[in-house]
Amino acid sequence: MEAPPVTMMPVTGGTINMMEYLLQGSVLDHSLESLIHRLRGLCDNMEPETFLDHEMVFLLKGQQASPFVLRARRSMDKTGAPWHLRYLGQPEMGDKNRHALVRNCVDIATSENLTDFLMEMGFRMDHEFVAKGHLFRKGIMKIMVYKIFRILMPGNTDSTEALSLSYLVELSVVAPAGQDMVSDDMRNFAEQLKPLVHLEKIDPKRLM
Amino acid sequence: MGVTCVSQMPVAEGKSVQQTVELLTRKLELLGAEKQGTFCVDCETYHTAASTMGSQGQAGKLMYVMHNSEYPLSCFALFENGPCLIADANFDVLMVKLKGFFQNAKANKIETRGTRYQYCDFLVKVGTVTMGPSARGISVEVEYGPCVVASDCWNLLLEFLQSFLGSHNPGAPAVFGNRHDGVYGPADTMAQYMELFNKIRKQQQVVD
Repeated sequence: MEAPPVTMMPVTGGTINMMEYLLQGSVLDHSLESLIHRLRGLCDNMEPETFLDHEMVFLLKGQQASPFVLRARRSMDKTGAPWHLRYLGQPEMGDKNRHALVRNCVDIATSENLTDFLMEMGFRMDHEFVAKGHLFRKGIMKIMVYKIFRILMPGNTDSTEALSLSYLVELSVVAPAGQDMVSDDMRNFAEQLKPLVHLEKIDPKRLM
Repeated sequence: MGVTCVSQMPVAEGKSVQQTVELLTRKLELLGAEKQGTFCVDCETYHTAASTMGSQGQAGKLMYVMHNSEYPLSCFALFENGPCLIADANFDVLMVKLKGFFQNAKANKIETRGTRYQYCDFLVKVGTVTMGPSARGISVEVEYGPCVVASDCWNLLLEFLQSFLGSHNPGAPAVFGNRHDGVYGPADTMAQYMELFNKIRKQQQVVD
């Protein structure tokens, strides 16, 4: 990979400790169009972007109580795009002053032999799914509206089945640790999406 | 990116590593090669931590994480005779997160540094291989730019190598035979450096 111009350098990277700030919500299928319309109006003026991704979740088990989890994602509709390897740390709810869930994250673009390599490292695939939806941006904020599909036959992404009759909506920002003020911007943006969708700080522990 | 051959140059009799490197670079300059800055290739060794060994049934596999100044934003992760993952440079950050599962054998860190020369279509890098504070050997890398099929230009590479390596005759790198499609890539260069570093590490164990 040759060095891209400085302006195109990824924000994540180096040894900086990056955090993902996250708000989540969902809309029923029949409300999708109105939400997309609203987002088109609010977000940066860019070509509407759609994605179709296949994500595999890998576990590495040791003697520690909890296994190490890594996510490998590949685009199914853009050939030649790099694979995406993602590490997500334990989510922190924080207090009322921080308006988003925060978790440590490491994003890595990789070559396409990622799954083979993870297996060689001792990781084993736990589950997989297909995500299909729309992507919007507003400054450093990223808004994803997507549906999750169950894969009926392991490894075969051609036969899938929608998991629900709704779309997941995620508003996220990846920023260096300690920049909690980004969560204020996120809350303000989430306010503008009401009542189409209520984006909230959802504690994953509550769902278990 | 063309086809690259990496080989170890034996230290000239009665000379030190440094003196042999100087002899080589002087020869290159006399040939008319142009100095173009410096280069560095480094390699860190990771042990599968004892905790993961039992459950995964893999006995002490070694993983190498390497960098090459020719690809400053990339990181290469390799297993011996296994896949080579090409990733963003922040793969290093992930290795820090994985320290409970993979331990960095810091004493095994090895690197080669030296001068980069351009001679017509050839790129030549003569480096001093160091492990810790002391010089352990000499690496010679020659890249032939206009071709990506190793078998088509090996003879040409060999002829050029012999023009300044004297009596030392490097064999065809093992990776040349590995490619199914015959197209050479950066991962093949890193595999050659990994082999060279492993060879030098073993030689050092014999001497000590």
